[in-house]
Amino acid sequence: MSSKTSAKDLVLDPIFNNNPIALQILGICSALAVTTKLSTSLTMSFAVIAVTACSSAAVALIKDRIPSSIRIIVQMTIIASFVILVDQVLKAYAFQLSKELSVFVGLIITNCIVMGRAEGFAMKNSVSDSFFDGLGNGLGYSIILMVVGFFRELFGSGTLFGFTVFTKQSAGGWYEPNGLMLLSPSAFFIIGIFIWVLRTWKPEQVEEA
Amino acid sequence: MPLNKDSLPNTFLVATTLCLTCALIVSAASVTLRPLQLENAQRDRRNNILQVSGFTPEEIKEDGGIKKVFESRFDVEIIDLDTGADAQVECQDAMNKAKDKEVNLGEEYDQLWASKLNPEKGLSEKLDKKADLCGIKSREKYSEVFIMKSLEGKPELYVFPVRGNGLWSLMQGYLAVKPDFQTVVGLTFYQQAETPGLGGEVQNPDWKALWKDKKIYDDGEVKLAVIKGNKAGNDYGVDALSGATITSNGVTNMIDFWMGSKGFGPYIEKMKNEDSSNTNAAAGGNNVK
Repeated sequence: MSSKTSAKDLVLDPIFNNNPIALQILGICSALAVTTKLSTSLTMSFAVIAVTACSSAAVALIKDRIPSSIRIIVQMTIIASFVILVDQVLKAYAFQLSKELSVFVGLIITNCIVMGRAEGFAMKNSVSDSFFDGLGNGLGYSIILMVVGFFRELFGSGTLFGFTVFTKQSAGGWYEPNGLMLLSPSAFFIIGIFIWVLRTWKPEQVEEA
Repeated sequence: MPLNKDSLPNTFLVATTLCLTCALIVSAASVTLRPLQLENAQRDRRNNILQVSGFTPEEIKEDGGIKKVFESRFDVEIIDLDTGADAQVECQDAMNKAKDKEVNLGEEYDQLWASKLNPEKGLSEKLDKKADLCGIKSREKYSEVFIMKSLEGKPELYVFPVRGNGLWSLMQGYLAVKPDFQTVVGLTFYQQAETPGLGGEVQNPDWKALWKDKKIYDDGEVKLAVIKGNKAGNDYGVDALSGATITSNGVTNMIDFWMGSKGFGPYIEKMKNEDSSNTNAAAGGNNVK
């Protein structure tokens, strides 16, 4: 990455060109767990965006003071604090959704994207650049979550954001829901197809065999 | 910068400052948001109690919200599950001791938490394998019972907190029954993590509607169960969820346990006896034995 990148590039680049899930294959675990419904995918997306952006900025702010021997633990502490903060806010202001997300908000701590950006970018760049980089990577993660959530909810439950699109047979309609879509493996298929489509569109992302 | 950032003093300085700052932020957030979170959790539980009792969301809204409807229509009793007797005082004492402060029972008594305490604290008891039908290992000694009263103060229905293990998760919910302790009004779950679309269908309103007017006891035994291919007109069976045998069995076991002698059985027995002696007395009957 060039030394002088604009904020716009920092935000937009990770969405398709350098997507953390599709190109770097990071942070897949939570992409499986929370994407059975769009509403939970969206909440998770906001949570991850907030955490990556804020923790990257915070790490960049104190990067000159962090001793290299404990830098990973320092990053971890900062990330964990933000995750707890987000979890508490969700519990207070979006109780129903935080109940559905259960432990997965807490597990953002272990999301490799957050840590990867803190260590790989924020340790070397300015506060504002790091903030936008975190924001962009959060968005890149979110777009995958939303795509996966869209297909899983539509084909698994026949709804989008809880509104009925296909009326299920059990409710007198025609649609026989695809049970596989509600189980974790389906997210692998959708992410795989997403990566396939993305790399057909942008062949430069294809790795050398 | 004069201080070498990799030196030992700086390492300690950074670590200490960072930990203190983060701890401060996290605890501040936790303390300021706690009342809101508690209120949310309570509102959620009450909302479930209202729904299982047959209130629709529209009715609740019209009548002034969850808090108002709940407080005007429901009495909360705390009972000793072993005897069925009112145990407000005992539970208060045990809770004060366990938490080492004056506890507001209405807001702070968490049965699931209590059931997992060491039995020595007097709030829980271990279940032996045979009695533990629904895999919960230990049970609280005191339970809340929610009683909906008519405007004249007559009990219209009883709501019991119930829980049991499904396939993946502990399913926690409420069972509402009529004062004859035989007819189900409704069953709902406020916490479960069964497979979405399969076992998760315990939350489906269509399935929950099947429970209405089912009968619980046959000759003193719990007969109500979730049955695969239930025949229409069977008062003791609810059709099982397809593709979710273990969740369905979990629900059956849960009903079996909580309506049985280790659950609310003694309380129900006691209420029935009181009821019949009351009617006898009212009819001028002589029930001195």
